[in-house]
Amino acid sequence: MQLTAVGTVAVTIVMLGTFLYVRDTVASFGSGILKQIEIAVYLNDNVDDTQAAAIQAKIAGDPRVTSVRYIPRKEGLREMRERLGKDFDTSLLTANPLPNGFRVQVGNADDVPAVAASIGRIHGVAKADYAADTVTKLLHAAAVLGRIGLAMIALLIATAAIIIANTIRLTVFARRREIAIMQLVGATNMYIRMPFIAEGIVAGVLGAVVAIAVLAIAQAQIIPKIAATLAFLPLHVNGLQLAGELLLTGAAVGLVASWFSVGRYLRV
Amino acid sequence: MIELRGVTLTYPNGTRALDDIDLSIGKADFVFLVGHSGTGKSSLLKLLYRECLPNSGEVTVDNIRVDTLRRSKVPALRRNIGVVFQDFKLLPNKTVWENVAFALQVTGARSKDVMRQVPRCLDLVGLSHKSRMLPGELSGGEQQRAAIARALVNNPKILLCDEPTGNLDPSNTTEIIELLQRINLKGTTILVATHNQAVVDRMRRRVVRLENGRILHDDERGYYFRGLGQSPILSG
Repeated sequence: MQLTAVGTVAVTIVMLGTFLYVRDTVASFGSGILKQIEIAVYLNDNVDDTQAAAIQAKIAGDPRVTSVRYIPRKEGLREMRERLGKDFDTSLLTANPLPNGFRVQVGNADDVPAVAASIGRIHGVAKADYAADTVTKLLHAAAVLGRIGLAMIALLIATAAIIIANTIRLTVFARRREIAIMQLVGATNMYIRMPFIAEGIVAGVLGAVVAIAVLAIAQAQIIPKIAATLAFLPLHVNGLQLAGELLLTGAAVGLVASWFSVGRYLRV
Repeated sequence: MIELRGVTLTYPNGTRALDDIDLSIGKADFVFLVGHSGTGKSSLLKLLYRECLPNSGEVTVDNIRVDTLRRSKVPALRRNIGVVFQDFKLLPNKTVWENVAFALQVTGARSKDVMRQVPRCLDLVGLSHKSRMLPGELSGGEQQRAAIARALVNNPKILLCDEPTGNLDPSNTTEIIELLQRINLKGTTILVATHNQAVVDRMRRRVVRLENGRILHDDERGYYFRGLGQSPILSG
């Protein structure tokens, strides 16, 4: 009877753990990309070095900006050569077509559009550019994924809670004579509740332990294979932290579920 | 010790179990509550240990207003009231000792107190030599004595008995009633709901007769049936 509860909690938490793992991976992949998004600022050709320094200070003064790097036109050309490689024969160029500029990084990817717009208004700035489409799409995808994730987690936890509650209810029912006598002789509800709550927590924690073991084995077996094929994925999820979260989830689910299932029997 | 003022109790199905009851029971009194089945005897007892609440009226037990008592205070009330039932309500998988000790342990008593109180109660009911036996190995009378020991282990001021001899033969019945009498002599207020005419007529204690949820009569040194006197069959 306890086995059913532990088993279901284990299955649920395996699913929850897998989901969290995938979500963490996608999130760190996504934030990795978002961190790389820079605002490319191009200055007007008539801006001299003093003015450029003033503009740089102004951009750096924005609290949302984490770094501002000056890119003189020569370096800009070199970077472009590196990026385009053989596809673009720069020797064809008779003069450097690039203006001086900055590379601006923003702490929070959400702020990129606003920061770019405000830089664009600074006198002397010709253009403040960023990969607008990519940023907005990524932000949107991350938000949607987060919401789906929350809903999934809520559903999974509810399932586990209902199953624990039902199991505890069976135990409570089997011991209803004892409970009735306890109430009759003046045991407090807390005293009567305690063993059932302990049982619920144990079921939740045991289920979580089983699930963590399964996940750990799966991680050891599967992740290296995925890493070999999809090298760009950041697969360094904090396993200990995840295990801790799952344990806490199991315990909390057991506590809440048993609390409610005993409570129904304690009404006078 | 026990005061009921204008108490009315109607069950959810509309049955009026008790109708405008006024009753006063003093400290160390011994009272029989008699009447046909379904006249509200059990309901009256349940009001006292707050198994149910009256629709109107006041219930006071040991200066505590039971009808308005907060739920969190109910355990404290019940530690002052021992309850004994017709079907004993012993836990079948616990020994006599464990059944009695259980009532003390679940109130959070220290094991020192358990070790002192349990033998005292078992001795009082005369079950010391059977403390290691399971309820199923005892006679009905012995089981009821175990239940009384459990009811007394918290040193309650009041002992409520709902048909305590309903399942017992005459000799066991006598045993239990004599035990209740001894407990009463130690100062415990005792209220016994019963059908047993022989017991009531022999004891000649206060008799409260309920009929259709009302008190029909309330006599000091009364008989099971008022005015009939002691039943001739039982005299001698």
